[in-house]
Amino acid sequence: MKFFSKSILAPFFGFLIACASLPAAGAELVTYDASHSRVSIALEAGAITPGETGWLAFTINPRKGWHTYWKNSGDSGAAPIFEWHLPEGLSVGAPLFAAPERLPIAHLMNYGFKGRTTILFPLIAAADFHGSTSTVGLTAEWLVCEIECVPQVANWDLKIPTGAELLVGSVSDPIFIEARSLLPELSYWDSALKIGQTQSLLTLYMDESELSGLQKAYFFPETDGVAIYNAEQTFESTPDGLIVHIARERGAVMPQNGAGVLQLSFAGSPDQTFDIEPKLAVMPKAEVRTNVGHLPFWQAALYALFGGLILNLMPCVFPILSLKAFAFVSANYKTATNRRREGWAYTAGIWISFMAIVGVLMALRAGGAAIGWGFQLQEPLFVGLLAILMVLVALSLAGVFTIQLGFEGSGQQLAGREGAQGAFFKGVLATLVATPCTAPLMAPAIGFALTQPFYTVVAVFSLLAFGLALPFLLLSYSARVAAMMPKPGAWMEKVKQGLAFPMLLTAVWLVYVYDLQTGAAGALSLLMVVIFISFSVWLWGQTQSKTGRILAASIGLASLVALSYVSFGAKPSVHSESQFEAAYSEKKLDELLESGQPVFVYFSAEWCITCKVNEQIALFRDETQAALRAKNVQVLKGDWTNRNDEIARVLASYGRAGVPLYLYFPAGSRDAIVLPEVITASSIIDIL
Amino acid sequence: MLKLKLLAILGCIWVSLPAAALMPVIGERAPEFMGVDSKGNPVSLSDFTGKPLILEWTNHRCPYVKKHYKSGNMQRIQRQLTEAGAVWVSVISSAPGKPGQVDGAKADALTASRGSYADKILLDSDGTIGRLYGAKTTPHIFLIDAQSTVRYMGAIDDQPSTRKSSLVGARNYLLQAWQELSEGKTITLASTKPYGCTVKYSDVTD
Repeated sequence: MKFFSKSILAPFFGFLIACASLPAAGAELVTYDASHSRVSIALEAGAITPGETGWLAFTINPRKGWHTYWKNSGDSGAAPIFEWHLPEGLSVGAPLFAAPERLPIAHLMNYGFKGRTTILFPLIAAADFHGSTSTVGLTAEWLVCEIECVPQVANWDLKIPTGAELLVGSVSDPIFIEARSLLPELSYWDSALKIGQTQSLLTLYMDESELSGLQKAYFFPETDGVAIYNAEQTFESTPDGLIVHIARERGAVMPQNGAGVLQLSFAGSPDQTFDIEPKLAVMPKAEVRTNVGHLPFWQAALYALFGGLILNLMPCVFPILSLKAFAFVSANYKTATNRRREGWAYTAGIWISFMAIVGVLMALRAGGAAIGWGFQLQEPLFVGLLAILMVLVALSLAGVFTIQLGFEGSGQQLAGREGAQGAFFKGVLATLVATPCTAPLMAPAIGFALTQPFYTVVAVFSLLAFGLALPFLLLSYSARVAAMMPKPGAWMEKVKQGLAFPMLLTAVWLVYVYDLQTGAAGALSLLMVVIFISFSVWLWGQTQSKTGRILAASIGLASLVALSYVSFGAKPSVHSESQFEAAYSEKKLDELLESGQPVFVYFSAEWCITCKVNEQIALFRDETQAALRAKNVQVLKGDWTNRNDEIARVLASYGRAGVPLYLYFPAGSRDAIVLPEVITASSIIDIL
Repeated sequence: MLKLKLLAILGCIWVSLPAAALMPVIGERAPEFMGVDSKGNPVSLSDFTGKPLILEWTNHRCPYVKKHYKSGNMQRIQRQLTEAGAVWVSVISSAPGKPGQVDGAKADALTASRGSYADKILLDSDGTIGRLYGAKTTPHIFLIDAQSTVRYMGAIDDQPSTRKSSLVGARNYLLQAWQELSEGKTITLASTKPYGCTVKYSDVTD
């Protein structure tokens, strides 16, 4: 037999080109010394038989301290590459690698082999294959690394003898025995791999008894996009079998198959490795949606302005706007300058509050928190404080006590000036209560803005604030409208007292939200705190003595401390699922989509008034529910009352930063139809 | 005083929120970075707003990088994209004492001798930007559009090999993504597995 090797290495690789060497004996076809490794190629039994599968062993022995790579090299490195040039009638099957090891390097993780490793290739000869010796061309490239990496390249023409009886004895060639002992075992368990956005779940349907003594489980995936290689994996034993939790990079490439090697470490025995090919389930791709966030700036700006205008008509701001309207009644008795000053003070109140909320939101998002618009209402403490504020404003309107905020008029003069301060405060209040409402057009604008640079965020939210302020700002410029205002009189005191009731309604709704966030005991505490604080404010107003005031302040402070204590210990109460809908999870949605069923998903929050209104006037209507059932549509509800990263991500993938969001996946489709933020029963029924 | 107390309480809530690493995600805003280029000038992501940006992690001693530079392949791509209006920034994250670590003068000399069309060479020897972007290999490519949205990340092409012959018929992922981006299409392969030498980060892990 004659052997030669040649290299196509470019000179810049700068390593030695080894000479061909003759096989030492028996089945060994080639040994080859590259600059940083020695390779040998052996043929099992020394020959191939027509109609049967023979085996080639490709053994790489790197320099001491250097390593080579598995078929998935992990974060970096490279799998060996093999290119075959085969005569007709011969074919090479998929290579078999030994079970890999983890090779950490800095903060990265590679998969490979520290010392010598053998890759086995099945060489399949057709039944009608003939010829005594055939030439098989092989070009191989394998990477050898310590810290620096050196690629090794070589090509050979391998002389493969044909014949059944040649070198039968060499079947026991130790290189093959060793290589086979290092291969992962074939798994006889069924398995499934579910790819979520930030986690992959590997389930092995094993008997619980098979899991006793299991100390560690680690999955080496063959393809990218399943795992963050350097992350620890955790496992749990369940009645279903073994579940391995694998962290995954959000937005990583979607794997095409789930195959890999599972390593199990049992107490008191060497690690076992298994070749598994789990059934792969992948969530709908997020990149389908990548264009959603790309509203042109002018459009987002326009949406924000009109969204802000429409926000004036939404139910949440109504109580505050009625206060503002009430204050405006006195417009006729103010100078044009004063009217305008108040108009601008109101605008400034809205603008500054928007900027404050957005500023905090941006800062938190920069810190990595998955939060969106309305995030402050996910904090029970904020909800509690807002409820207290509403009650205090209501009591002040009702005349229980007087807080100098501007609505009560100055002194006894009923048509009293609102004052710039009062107007400003109303702007702040309007913004605080407006956030739970989403007006049409607002959602895409906000969703867009929050993915943009700082100045775009400021621009879009300023327009939104301006839109909200615009009606009263315009009115403050109109002398004609001011002239139409009725004459002030005793009637205004009654109207003012009447306005306390919508404020109290707002407070009731906030207590309801707080109840959902903290449970019934939490809501009870909040109500008590509300009463104590009201009492302390009242006491403060009644007494002039120092002791009285200290007492009032202490009661108020103690109540607030109690409230923050209750809010921090908050545990969201469990929501009961209705009969026809289930709670949203990526897993659940994926299962339903997998089964080809039509799915309606709605994202809502208890503090989101727009959501609640939509649900009452559209989604929960009998005809809508009947239509959903008739078409066998599965309904999933994503509840964003409390912070939930999974839901925040889904919202973001549809270019949104807040609720509501309505998605309909027609039967067999993974692409959702996105419904508008304000829906009617017919808009749902029409798309079904 | 009451107000202060409330602020303090609210402050506590905000501080206690978990902070997670913000790795680049396709379709989302690229992580903001700040660094220094080979000329000693400060460089940050926002400098490039309004222009498409390509970040190329590189190491002149890496054989995979050499394949693309010695063959002229990388320079051709750089020239094509920079002439079409993109900004090309090569990033060197090799730690001091590790292969491929260079100072500004050496980086500029390399740019000249290799005929690179890179607009800037970003020196990141402490690996901050590399870790921020999750750069794993040299080369590792990120395509960021004019609105600072990540559009492509991963390998430069589909040939994880050091042989020049692998360039023939290679499917260049970056050029494909660029083409689709400029035609306003959805990018078919927005994320691929990068190949090449490990970025030579310092061993001090964070």
